[in-house]
Amino acid sequence: MTARHRFLWIALFALVFLAWTPAASAQIGPAGPPPHSPHPKPTAESLAEGKTLFEGTCAGCHGLDGSGANGPNIRQMGKILGPEGVYTVIYTGGAMGSGMPAFSSLGEKNIWLLVNYVSSFSETGGGAVNGDPVKGKEVYESNGCSSCHMIDGRGSDSGPDLSKIGSVRSAGFLHDALIDPGANLPQSDASLQERANYPSYTMYRVTMKDGKVIEGTRVDEDSFSLQLRDAKGQIHSVEKLQAEKIEVVPGKSFMPSYKDKLSETQLNDLVSYLASLGAAQ
Amino acid sequence: MKTSRYVVCGFILFALVLGTRVRSWAQDVTYDEILHSSSHPQDWLTYGGNYASQRFSELKQVNTENVKDLRIQWVYQLKHQGIFESSPIVVDGLMYVTEPPTTVTALDVRTGKPVWRWSAELPRDLLTIGLFPTNRGVAILGDTVYVATIDAHLVALDAKTGALKWSVEIGDNKRAVAITQAPLAINGKIIVGMGGGEGGLRGYIDAYDAKDGHRLWRLYTIPTTGEAGVETWEGDSYKYGGATTWNTGAYDPETNTLFWGTGNPAPDWNGDARKGDNLYSCSLLAIDADTGKMKWYFQFSPHETHDWDAAEPPILFDATIDGKERKVVAQADRNAFYYVLDRETGKFIAGQAYAKQTWAKGLDANGRPIELPDIEPTKKGNLVYPSITGSVNWTSSSYSPLTGLFYVDTREQGAYYYKGNPEMEPANPRDIGGGGGQKVVLGDAAYSAIRALEGTSGKLKWEFKMVGDSWTGTLVTAGNLVFCADAGGNFFALNAETGKPLWHIQLGNSVRANPITYEVDGKQYVEAAAGNSVFVFSLP
Repeated sequence: MTARHRFLWIALFALVFLAWTPAASAQIGPAGPPPHSPHPKPTAESLAEGKTLFEGTCAGCHGLDGSGANGPNIRQMGKILGPEGVYTVIYTGGAMGSGMPAFSSLGEKNIWLLVNYVSSFSETGGGAVNGDPVKGKEVYESNGCSSCHMIDGRGSDSGPDLSKIGSVRSAGFLHDALIDPGANLPQSDASLQERANYPSYTMYRVTMKDGKVIEGTRVDEDSFSLQLRDAKGQIHSVEKLQAEKIEVVPGKSFMPSYKDKLSETQLNDLVSYLASLGAAQ
Repeated sequence: MKTSRYVVCGFILFALVLGTRVRSWAQDVTYDEILHSSSHPQDWLTYGGNYASQRFSELKQVNTENVKDLRIQWVYQLKHQGIFESSPIVVDGLMYVTEPPTTVTALDVRTGKPVWRWSAELPRDLLTIGLFPTNRGVAILGDTVYVATIDAHLVALDAKTGALKWSVEIGDNKRAVAITQAPLAINGKIIVGMGGGEGGLRGYIDAYDAKDGHRLWRLYTIPTTGEAGVETWEGDSYKYGGATTWNTGAYDPETNTLFWGTGNPAPDWNGDARKGDNLYSCSLLAIDADTGKMKWYFQFSPHETHDWDAAEPPILFDATIDGKERKVVAQADRNAFYYVLDRETGKFIAGQAYAKQTWAKGLDANGRPIELPDIEPTKKGNLVYPSITGSVNWTSSSYSPLTGLFYVDTREQGAYYYKGNPEMEPANPRDIGGGGGQKVVLGDAAYSAIRALEGTSGKLKWEFKMVGDSWTGTLVTAGNLVFCADAGGNFFALNAETGKPLWHIQLGNSVRANPITYEVDGKQYVEAAAGNSVFVFSLP
């Protein structure tokens, strides 16, 4: 190939390259928050300011008291992540796919106001815990709880994972749930974002067009399908258009009541143990 | 020398072979073509599908018989992830989608391969108060693509290359002006509104010269001192009362009139400092497209305190009502009522609730709501239906001239509304805070449904119930199909006459956008944006 031909080829490639190069480059946002001032101590005044800001900016998704709406419950977020962690989440946005945008535009001062206000949630509420968590752990292990529940990867996932239950449920709630498990099913189990909007562990009875009946708790549901888990832990996928009847069975749970199975002391110990899970981290 | 001749000959031959399969990208859209968009349904030329914003397509290759065979043709995954709400424009072989927060990407409609991409350079201290940093689409006119950026600029790009032609500022983002809507291109003009009403602004809508971007007119949506209507705002609350124009409107070329909805008055949940009807918030405005003068207005929710913007895209159609031919504009409002208005006079013709609502006894003879007592937000929280996100929000409804039905993705949900501090410092956009708060009611009692309403009355013809909180617009076609999606990631087709589900596919994430349809090489395609991807479907 002569120099002239090489030039022709180079010119041709240059033309093709130029024709396909995007016209402008993108601006990519920073991965984390830039250096910022240290965490300021909350004052009554700054908490009040933070409350106003929270109600206007965050309450739409997280609820006015942080207990969740379209977004998750964040009442224990301050305790779990610490002030710098909460700052980062507000600055950069929630995890991928969570739908929470970055609020970097609020500016440093406002983000710290929110951090302190959000962190103040975990200081309030929770109910009294007067049992012995060490004994409670024994109660948990000797009563077969792990045949349905999981803690730190041990047990079964038929029922709710309890690894961090102390950070999302008060002691009072846990006590009541042991006495009457079906009465107050979790309203927004955010372990899967897709099902965060409706009560989990709701019991369903489905009669298929061929007469088969399936009873189980709802694992997930959309407009065309329903995923149920039966008493043996078996998952059933129901195509709704093939179902004759789909009924909700309210107030029922596969979990038995422990009202007559445990003494009041044992119950308190168990509640104390559960309330400690994830709460102090 | 010989080699170069072979190269040239080879290229000519290659081009000839390709020529039989490749349609050139002319990318030159005349006003006349947009005006008669129904006569070439292969393209999707405006945000609403046509100037009437009907989101109705004449395409019928995909129909009730064969829709069950619809399958994925290609998928494009966004390069810029975030909240993806784009409704594409398709012209002559290219699809223009917008990626969050403001990136325009041109895709080859046959393959989904990107041809060019342009991104706005955004300030690090970008302000987005009360809205997500996203973009819902572009407009096209001539050889130019127009996009409004999240930091409130109108940008003109070369439709073939994405090269920047010009950029003009629509508003000051430091004062919270931010734009997510698609502009509307009419004869020589680009019409665009703005958002950020929770930041203490006075709303407006603008027209820009399509050639060089100079502003032709601006219409403020809140009157100022000396103008009629300012008395509907207490004190100086008119100066920062919101009433933005944050979604794309419709256009009637016959009367050269634009129809544009306005947002809520600010602060949202505490109206104490803005007593009065707060004109022209939560209204539909009819605007002379040449002068920007308001021809008439219709206020859906006077002195609104639940954040029920009236920004839902209005739909224009002609229909026989009580034996008379009427030119109407219809809107399924966020406040749970469906309205039919005379589009020449703004006079109320018909209306009724299309979703559960607990705030009004009904509408009076002029269409004004007859409000019930105790509907205001309170310190302890007041449960009112619909929820803050409304019976419908920014997603588009559609109307089929074949069925005469109006298809709306309806939300059935209530919310506790809380009243807070109305004090604000207008100079500080971050200070406004909404004047309270709200908490939506979740659980199985909250759901969505596609409702088919009689266009002339709002009477329910059929509904298709869905699980969860759907944020998808509807698309209706001459193939007698309505396309929409549920919150669980199912994109589906319903029989437009009966609502019977005919096809669905799980896309792995919710469709938070308005679907569209187009045709290439004699084949109909249906598009839906799910999660952070564009999905395109066709028959085998």
